[in-house]
Amino acid sequence: MNASDATSTGGAGNSREVVGTAGSGAFSQYDLDPRFFDEMFRADGVPRTVCRRLGKFLDRVPAEELARVQDSVHRRFIHEGITFTVLGKQEVSEHIIPIDCIPRILTSDEWQHIEDGIGQRLRAVNLFLKDIYNEGRSLRDGVVPADLVLGCPQYRVEMRGVKVPHDVYVAVGGTDIVRTNAGFAVLEDNMRVPSGVSYMLACREATKRALPTLYREHRVREVSTYPERLYSTLVSLSSRAGTPRVAVLTPGRYNSAYYEHAFLAGQMGADLVEGRDLVVHNANLYARTSSGLRRIDVIYRRIDDDFTDPVTFRGDSALGAAGLFHAYRAGNVVLANAPGTGVADDKAVYVFIPDIIRYFLGEEPILANVETHLCRSRDGLAHTLDNLQDLVVKEVGGSGGYGMLVGPQSTAREREEYADRLRADPANFIAQPVLDLSRASCFVEGSLQPRHVDVRPFTLHGRDGQNVVPGGLCRVALQRGNLVVNSSQGGGCKDLWVLRD
Amino acid sequence: MLAREAGDFYWMGRYIERTEQTARLLRHQLTGLVDTPADELALGWRVLYRTLGQSVPDTPEDADEAEAFLIADAYTLAGTLVEDETVPDSMISCWRAARANASQLRPQLPLRVWTCLNRGYLWIRDCDFPGAWKIRPVELVAEGIDRLRLLAGVVDAVMPRDDSWRFLELGRFVERFQHQTSLLDSWDRIGCAPKRQPALTWADLLRVCGAYELYCRRFTMTVHRGEVLDLMIRDPEVPRSLRFALYRIENLLVGIDPLGNRHPLAPPHRVALRLAAVLEADAGGPNSPGPGEGRESGLFERLAQDGQALHDRVMAAYVDYPVEEGLPT
Repeated sequence: MNASDATSTGGAGNSREVVGTAGSGAFSQYDLDPRFFDEMFRADGVPRTVCRRLGKFLDRVPAEELARVQDSVHRRFIHEGITFTVLGKQEVSEHIIPIDCIPRILTSDEWQHIEDGIGQRLRAVNLFLKDIYNEGRSLRDGVVPADLVLGCPQYRVEMRGVKVPHDVYVAVGGTDIVRTNAGFAVLEDNMRVPSGVSYMLACREATKRALPTLYREHRVREVSTYPERLYSTLVSLSSRAGTPRVAVLTPGRYNSAYYEHAFLAGQMGADLVEGRDLVVHNANLYARTSSGLRRIDVIYRRIDDDFTDPVTFRGDSALGAAGLFHAYRAGNVVLANAPGTGVADDKAVYVFIPDIIRYFLGEEPILANVETHLCRSRDGLAHTLDNLQDLVVKEVGGSGGYGMLVGPQSTAREREEYADRLRADPANFIAQPVLDLSRASCFVEGSLQPRHVDVRPFTLHGRDGQNVVPGGLCRVALQRGNLVVNSSQGGGCKDLWVLRD
Repeated sequence: MLAREAGDFYWMGRYIERTEQTARLLRHQLTGLVDTPADELALGWRVLYRTLGQSVPDTPEDADEAEAFLIADAYTLAGTLVEDETVPDSMISCWRAARANASQLRPQLPLRVWTCLNRGYLWIRDCDFPGAWKIRPVELVAEGIDRLRLLAGVVDAVMPRDDSWRFLELGRFVERFQHQTSLLDSWDRIGCAPKRQPALTWADLLRVCGAYELYCRRFTMTVHRGEVLDLMIRDPEVPRSLRFALYRIENLLVGIDPLGNRHPLAPPHRVALRLAAVLEADAGGPNSPGPGEGRESGLFERLAQDGQALHDRVMAAYVDYPVEEGLPT
């Protein structure tokens, strides 16, 4: 029996026929835990309606066949070089992001809720960024503490008064969404250079090929149009007549997300440029081609603000192009995202996003924040220090799971050292409770087991509004009990299927 | 196309070609281990290393000892050129370099080409070399050649004939031209063992270059040095002849930069034309001395110099040109 056969014989989901129950059959290793929302099963162990067909399939397909499917997906990633790069002390190594072949499924309504929530968030963030780099009304009105914003390392004074095309500061946003028993919530915003969309697309392609019949039967909404939508979004921001020339600016092949940069450039038909390919002349940006210099109109930058232009930002940067910011200020090139958007994904500013939404949009936030304590406040610091063993503490500018303390998994010594850091610079930290991340069905160690997941959908914001592909990078902590899903911390990914109505 | 990408395609082509050239020479040498006399094997290693522009590693100074070393350590010598990542011209180094170039070209490179190249690299990277040397040394190299041929076929089948393909091919044929020049020179200088019939040695060269059958059809089964060199230098129909490589180079340059368009008689075109003229002029008429009568060594030196100049001009014209040249007025 192969995977397709198994699916075919599964037939349509029958509400009376219960198969694939947690704790029995193929799911005998699947331990339901009421603390965590389970994406696949209800509390009584019966598959959720939306997962019935998948449950039936998994219950019938032999473990060897699932292993084969898993292997084929893995090999596809290896052969196609779908990798991320890790810089060691001595060498550079390429790694395959572990992929789990079993999709996570969301209903159309669930997705709509997420889409509305992240869209609302990004609209508010763009208004907020415009405000803090111009009038500063929200700071005067105390929506966000002015010292928090102006003292944020990601705040770029160079951006004050700069006319940003169509007031779109964040053209590409990524929002990390978690689900607990209380529902969906935003864990983190990524408003600088969110990455992972290529893995979303690669996961989809791999899963589609590995489970073709199952995929067809589920009527999954497509995500493959993302590059086209991204291109349209970028082009819409340019005021250049005709067809603007788009380039993806990458730090180079040793960057951890280089595969993604290359992938997106290839899909969009854009140049994949490095700083050394670019020249600024008379406030215009050019790329060196084999037949001379060619003007570039839009830069989709995948490098941090600091490195974009050694003249304006870090002088020792060899990754950007000298004079690029000058060309940007002159309106001759679009930078997406705009410099200085990192303020909006600072983990301390995150706390105020619900207030920002209310202030700028006059709406209640659709997606809640996770409870967060600012260590910059006396109470927040005291609460954090008193409860270190129960909290997750993060640096406000950190990312990738680096530099954080997961209280319950830490030793007393680690907590002591972290407490010293906290006391030395409390404004640099926030604390959150350990989240009961939902769990999804994964094929691990030869059997079906639940693992914690989150999802990062990507929102595009262009001249004519927003655009969200129905899907996202579903990250999964593949080690039992682990709550950190970041790929840099051993996390993997799986496909997310958003079903049609 | 970005100048850097043009350079990457060009170098990718060079590295792929270099890997195959090394593999072809190694296959010949390893095949000969079974029944070739020691002195011939020793010469073979010298030719191989000289062709690649390297000295034989750690050879004893005494000639007799050196010869013994070259025979006894055949697999060490072969291994150096296959699996040693510290040797720039080893197969694994070239494959890795080609892949590194390709990885920077992912937006331009068809997925099938990348996958084929990547799988080849993963194969050689993960190869069980000690096992392969014990059981099937020739097969190891032969499989490398097969994988490179597969790659060439995929490139031929799926790559659009735009500048990306032209720079890739240009790299391949500039590399081939330089390598073949070096090979012919080395073979002519030191390839013949004193006790061996020269015809057999020259037949070996034809086999290495995949031209033995063609030679037999065109001439006779009795192989003569002059005719071999003439074939491998000037015959435009032999894929590994210098004339064939030069013919492809000329066409590719015209495709990249049509004469009279951007650079009328641009430097690379001029060098290619000069090289063609050298080959034509040296072909000789009916009354001139026959080929292979002592004129070639000077010819090879000149071809080697001009081949290097051609490479330099290509890089200077399309990859590393001064920015000021391209600024709008």
